[in-house]
Amino acid sequence: MRTCRDLGLRTVAVYSDIDRAAPHVRFADAAYPIGAAAPAESYLNGDRIIAVAKRAGAGAIHPGYGFLSENAGFAQAVADAGLTFIGPDAAVQRALGEKTSARRLARAAGVPVAAGTMEPVSDEGAARAAAEKIGYPVLLKPAGGGGGKGMRVVRSADELVAAWRGSTGEATTGFGDARMLIERLITSARHVEVQLVADRYGAVVWLGERDCSVQRRHQKLIEETPGPSVTADLRARLGESAVRIARTAGYTSAGTAEFLVSPDGSFVFLEMNTRLQVEHGVTELVTGLDLVALQLAIAAGERLPFTQDEVRRDGAAIELRITAEDPYAGFLPAGGRITFVREPLGPGVRVDSALAAGMTVPNEYDPLLAKIIVGGPTREIAIARARRAVRETIVAGVPTALPFHAHVLAEPDFVAGRYDTDYVATHWAAARAPTPDGTAAQAAALVAVGLQRHTAAAVGSVSSAWALAAREDAQR
Amino acid sequence: MRYEVQVGDALLRLEAAADGRTLVDDAVVAAVVTEVSAGVLWSVIVDGAAHEIALLGRDPLRLWVDGVETRVQIADERAVAAARRGGRRTGGRVEVRAPMPGLIKAIHVAEGARVEAGAPLVTLEAMKMENELRAPQAGTVTKIGTGAGATVDGGTLLVVITPD
Repeated sequence: MRTCRDLGLRTVAVYSDIDRAAPHVRFADAAYPIGAAAPAESYLNGDRIIAVAKRAGAGAIHPGYGFLSENAGFAQAVADAGLTFIGPDAAVQRALGEKTSARRLARAAGVPVAAGTMEPVSDEGAARAAAEKIGYPVLLKPAGGGGGKGMRVVRSADELVAAWRGSTGEATTGFGDARMLIERLITSARHVEVQLVADRYGAVVWLGERDCSVQRRHQKLIEETPGPSVTADLRARLGESAVRIARTAGYTSAGTAEFLVSPDGSFVFLEMNTRLQVEHGVTELVTGLDLVALQLAIAAGERLPFTQDEVRRDGAAIELRITAEDPYAGFLPAGGRITFVREPLGPGVRVDSALAAGMTVPNEYDPLLAKIIVGGPTREIAIARARRAVRETIVAGVPTALPFHAHVLAEPDFVAGRYDTDYVATHWAAARAPTPDGTAAQAAALVAVGLQRHTAAAVGSVSSAWALAAREDAQR
Repeated sequence: MRYEVQVGDALLRLEAAADGRTLVDDAVVAAVVTEVSAGVLWSVIVDGAAHEIALLGRDPLRLWVDGVETRVQIADERAVAAARRGGRRTGGRVEVRAPMPGLIKAIHVAEGARVEAGAPLVTLEAMKMENELRAPQAGTVTKIGTGAGATVDGGTLLVVITPD
């Protein structure tokens, strides 16, 4: 929406009942309700969204990065309604959206894939047979899903029943498709993805990589570019592989090819995200490009305004996802009312946020509250700025991932760039909450006592409550 | 009035003296507490050192201290004295409550069962995910407050464990 405003385009927001006051609704030029909070009643209801678009006189629909953003049926329906879908065509989405189909396509493009099923698996018996053949441990992935939802690690045959039930259940709720991809689990690997853009005339350009290995429950918490372990040679090979897959698929718009990179520099293709990603901001920061503007230009039939050689990447950028989750309780999501917010500012800091004091964090949707995106001329400077930004940030009322980020940004292995997808398990599980010391602890104690007295005596403020404590003492 | 304040791992003794001075661990400190945003954010200067404190949540009291989130517990001198006499006890039971509203997908224990710390107790579906609630410490399950399929509010008592 910010991009549209930059370009002088008017925007129309759709919202579910509980999102009436959400930032996208307030920011848009027009806004229309599309139903109840449950996703199936609103954000997954393509017909209703298209009806609103036509009523509002919109020419194009941008699907964002959740819900219907990777739904080929929706892309087709948008096109059939005579509107422009901002993203790849339905046929391309179909080929890449279902994970085993994407694997077949990658193999055809000469890009390696992990050992696993090349067709979706829809019953438990077939799953067991496939897992035996691939060899445990395996990973169950919703074939039609994304964003790490519904994924389960299965270490042995007796874990399969429960995992199958859990994964297919979540896949049905989340994506309306219970079929699974079963893939060999690759450990000690890095999750590295390549951002690319492609126009309607066959030009495909890759814009660098992002290392997204810092994950919990297969969902990303920190993403950075350049990947600290990615050599120039590996970067070029990843970029070429991503471009080959995009070309083979006839891809258009912005997209991301995800890879798992082993310590020896070998890699396998995981999947293609046929949409803008949550973490696109880090690529924007180092390339100076506006990926949404590029998506809009490509959808409007324009050619890419640059070639591969003209892509510039300066410095480093890190994104920290601020989720409503308690990092000290296994990243358990926590709803509630936000009582106070202070977002960071200053050199190199960009905040994409849905936070507002007084808002209630809905239980119905993803717990992502805000993204702090920090850039600098070097990785060291970007990390220092990120540390400063996290220290500045206050989110009161619900637990958030902020203490996790503060810990990681000062943790030697992360700072040295030594981490893989096991990082959270190996480096956070035993982390203890830090404790303020010296005058900081004294200051906290003073406020705490003032607060207690303030509540008990209903005096004007914490500071006067403290003064009152002294006076009362004097009167005794 | 004297207080004992636990800030994270640190225990501090505070005293608001009759003459208006503030003592921390029996030493006089020059402290000024100034409210920045009503009821949520304070600037505190202690002997020249500037700190920011924000209220993250009450019950239990959680403060943000220069970017560090920490638990704080306060006892005034009467409570401290009572605790020293051994007067207060929490009752020796551990309550596991729903951290958020959601749907109980499964209950993995029965009343009377012995559980180790970290054992899965309840699967709660919320925010499109299934969340495993685990035993905070080892003990015997003495009460189950809900059933599979139930929709619960945040704070609902799910399981009570009596520690070993």
